[in-house]
Amino acid sequence: MRHFLVMCLFAALASVILGAMTKEDDRERWLYGVKVFAEFIVIGLALGWLLYFIPW
Amino acid sequence: MVKTERMQAQEIAPTPGNAWMIGVVAWFIPGLGHALQKRWVRAALMGGAVWLSFFIGLQMGGHMFDLSAAEGSSTLLQVPPMIANIGTGALYIVSWLLGIGFADDPVQAARATYEYGNTFLLIAGLLNYLTMLDAFDIAAGRKP
Repeated sequence: MRHFLVMCLFAALASVILGAMTKEDDRERWLYGVKVFAEFIVIGLALGWLLYFIPW
Repeated sequence: MVKTERMQAQEIAPTPGNAWMIGVVAWFIPGLGHALQKRWVRAALMGGAVWLSFFIGLQMGGHMFDLSAAEGSSTLLQVPPMIANIGTGALYIVSWLLGIGFADDPVQAARATYEYGNTFLLIAGLLNYLTMLDAFDIAAGRKP
């Protein structure tokens, strides 16, 4: 559980900056930040499951 | 805008000198580049994320890189992560001067959060490079 929370924290910090520095208006920035955060989490979980089945 | 148009636009509006100063300040103290331009929310969000990432990394027992190579390792291999770490500016320099976060301690390396800490410290520097570029673009008038 702790590993997941650390991953969420990492994703949150990175997505705050990536969201804040892109797009034109605040709404688009929010949406982009949330999208980047979700992508970090989903891809992280997917890679976690994928690597679980690889023995080396 | 095609490349030639962009080059013409750059010729018309040269980068103001203070933009370079803002860029250096933004690198040295994360968030200060935006604060000097009265972009308080950006300063708090972007600078805050860098500071938070840095201190969380240290708290987790992360290790920063300098040119002193570990046993059995090449100095060249230290350079890329060192460049990432240097992105935190004064945070890196002060830590280096005080010897915080540079110790090659096997007990520290055995901590479960050691690698997480390393990653947070690297990412703090890389995110601050992005923050610095954002502050520079705003100062240069390339961004609203």
